[in-house]
Amino acid sequence: MSQSCFHCLEPIPSGFDGQVTYEHEQHPVCCIGCQAVAEHIIAEGMSDYYKFRTVKAGKVESLVPDQLKIIESYDNDAIQEDFISHQGSLNEVLLSVEGISCAACAWLIEKQLLALNGVARVDVNTSTHRAMILWDPSLIKLSEMIASLHSIGYKTYPFQADEEASQKQAVAKAYVRRLGVAGIMTMQVMMFAFAMYFGMFSGMDENFEEYFRWISFVLATPVILYSALPFLSNAIKGLKAKQLNMDLPVSMAIFGAYVASSYATIMHTGEVYFESICMFTFLLLLGKYLEFRARLKASEFTANLHKLLPLTARKLLESGEELIIAAKQLALGDRILVKAGETIPADGLVIEGKTSVDESMMTGEHLPVSKIVGNQVFAGTNNHDGVITIEINQLGQNTLINQIIRLQHSALTKRPKLVEVTDKVAQWFVASLLLFATATAIGWYPISPDKAFWITISVLVATCPCALSLAIPTALTCAVANLTKKGILIKEAHVLETLPKVTRFAFDKTGTLTEGRFTITDVVTLSDSYDKETCLKFAGQLEHFSEHPIAKAFEDYFPNSRALDKVEVRSGYGIQGVIQNLNIAIGKPSWFENYESEAQAVLFIDSKPVCEFKLSDKVRNSANQVIAQLKSQGVTSHMLTGDSSNSGRLLATQLKMDSVQSACTPKDKQSYVDDWASKGEVVAMVGDGINDSPVFNSAHLSLAMETGADISKNAADVVLLRSDLVAIPALITVAKKTKQIVRQNLALSLIYNGSILPLAALGMVEPWQAVIGMSASSIIVICNSLRLLKL
Amino acid sequence: MSIIYVLIPIAILFVLIAIGIFFWAVRDEQFSDLEKQGHSILFDDDKEQHKKANERD
Repeated sequence: MSQSCFHCLEPIPSGFDGQVTYEHEQHPVCCIGCQAVAEHIIAEGMSDYYKFRTVKAGKVESLVPDQLKIIESYDNDAIQEDFISHQGSLNEVLLSVEGISCAACAWLIEKQLLALNGVARVDVNTSTHRAMILWDPSLIKLSEMIASLHSIGYKTYPFQADEEASQKQAVAKAYVRRLGVAGIMTMQVMMFAFAMYFGMFSGMDENFEEYFRWISFVLATPVILYSALPFLSNAIKGLKAKQLNMDLPVSMAIFGAYVASSYATIMHTGEVYFESICMFTFLLLLGKYLEFRARLKASEFTANLHKLLPLTARKLLESGEELIIAAKQLALGDRILVKAGETIPADGLVIEGKTSVDESMMTGEHLPVSKIVGNQVFAGTNNHDGVITIEINQLGQNTLINQIIRLQHSALTKRPKLVEVTDKVAQWFVASLLLFATATAIGWYPISPDKAFWITISVLVATCPCALSLAIPTALTCAVANLTKKGILIKEAHVLETLPKVTRFAFDKTGTLTEGRFTITDVVTLSDSYDKETCLKFAGQLEHFSEHPIAKAFEDYFPNSRALDKVEVRSGYGIQGVIQNLNIAIGKPSWFENYESEAQAVLFIDSKPVCEFKLSDKVRNSANQVIAQLKSQGVTSHMLTGDSSNSGRLLATQLKMDSVQSACTPKDKQSYVDDWASKGEVVAMVGDGINDSPVFNSAHLSLAMETGADISKNAADVVLLRSDLVAIPALITVAKKTKQIVRQNLALSLIYNGSILPLAALGMVEPWQAVIGMSASSIIVICNSLRLLKL
Repeated sequence: MSIIYVLIPIAILFVLIAIGIFFWAVRDEQFSDLEKQGHSILFDDDKEQHKKANERD
């Protein structure tokens, strides 16, 4: 029998022997949560999930009463206003669901919800991790549905779509529609084109040929006037900005050939090119759509994270009663209660209680900051272990987090940009093409005014920059697809072009160069009666109940038996409990007596220190190697950290980095990068915290860690999904290879266009020859680009 | 052969209907998640009955 959990496939801890029955066989599970979920799924007849899933499920955590209360508050009308829309008597909500990993999850969620009375429609999207639910509010409450999803192991949050995301969705749909029309119509036009090709050799009735031309004209019209319209509008937009872009020759070829073919059809003269322009439109659109989709997926992925600020707050009434209200209804001077583990909804002063607050999402530093009466706390930070009452002194736009977001937005408009190769080539190509076509027209006019028009058109068609315009998008699409497989999400189109030019890499410290979490580096026992193993086991058991970041270091030592009684968290000191009639405690060295130690955590048994744990933030394994690799390629590495202690300097020396700046505010980081950029350096910034998001927009290129704050991932050009720095050299390799392939593609297509141009200008190219040459050059370019997939 | 003058417009009519259906499908978000639709055929919605039938055996 396998030794991994039946539900989440994680290893089974010793001491837990829960099992579930699936298809008459006993399978082990790792915890009560997974057991409950697996039993529920099997009992409801949804066991197909286990048969067809391709990715493991997440580990299940059970709901605590406080969480239930928050979920129930989602039924409140004022809170619902933000994320619910109405369709007749039905309500519609978009939930972002944590832990959807494959199509089996989507099926499971849809089946679970549709079984509830009152749910009219469920639509789960596995790529965006969102579920759209349409339900009848008189029959079922939103909180009941969320709880029901929780019972099969999915955590959900109401999702608020922002303007940008819904616009992108609309663009994606328009692409699919245009692509569909182009595809279906091209097939029809090709059919008639083939009939006419054969007709040319075997002789075709004049009437039929005339008829087929008209049919082709009717079928091609929607492709040109609907599907190819974006090319024309982009070209015009470019012209208005006084730029010649790639869309200009493309739309000149498409619309020029269309006008000429229509003229030929109506006036019974010349040649028609309907099939060529239809196919060209289809291929170009396909390339553009695939590239757009890869980027859409990346931005959807990052936008789909639960909100920074909570939707609800616990307001304290005059009477001392506690009321859950919508966070946006809070007013200045209101008193709110924040319990352990909750996110603080507004900036304010602590007026009662003491706690430690995790401000890592602001500062990137994972060590909690202790807060006592009179201290300022910030919206969006996480309250760790104590219960505090705060009086609100900043709301909405004035909160620190919104100030940082504003800083980030203002940097976006001033962002340095490098001129893209595409634009440069297009400028050159378009100008020479226009000159050449004009020259042809002028040259032929005195010789034969009749032929001048047709030969000019054939110059435009023959030089139709199919291969040229496919050269860059196909290479980018293949490179992006390859990188996505490697866990590197590319969000902006310019990344692959900018990357080979980067001369400086700036790194944040905590969470980027280090793992941003504590690991045990040393265990020292102080008493003979307990060995290291027992101490670690005791510590693991206790720390399992603590939310303190230090507790995470002990995660691996949790034995998963429930031998612990009377657990109590002592704010500011640590956590204590009773195991086997021993009073054990873990926390500050100075908790019980004046015991002095440098260790971050000390284990006490019956108030006597028995073991010291030394912890430190571990440097990522790959950091050393990556920085050395960058150096060998002539790229310098720099550290910009918000940490004011000496540890940044030590780490920089250890990693042999070129410079280090510590105690940087988000603004400082920006000014360092701006300074470098003004000296002509091309700067890439790698970071993870909210404090890195403004500097992301000052750098030429920005990379965020998957483990970082949501907002920094939103601002970044690249998200490293595996949070592994090794991705950086891999990314550079692919970018360099892409550059090389793009150059080859451009060379190939320019050779083709350059050699056919004089022939066409002399009137020596037959239409079918032009079509074959055009298709062949496009196919060669596409095949060359496909090589990027195998890197 | 002159029947072709009637048949081709009819064929075009079918194409237009196909495009209509395609537009409806796009609006209905059937193309927003390509992975899920491909797998949906594998799942057996009548599993509950199966199970109950098995228990009776």
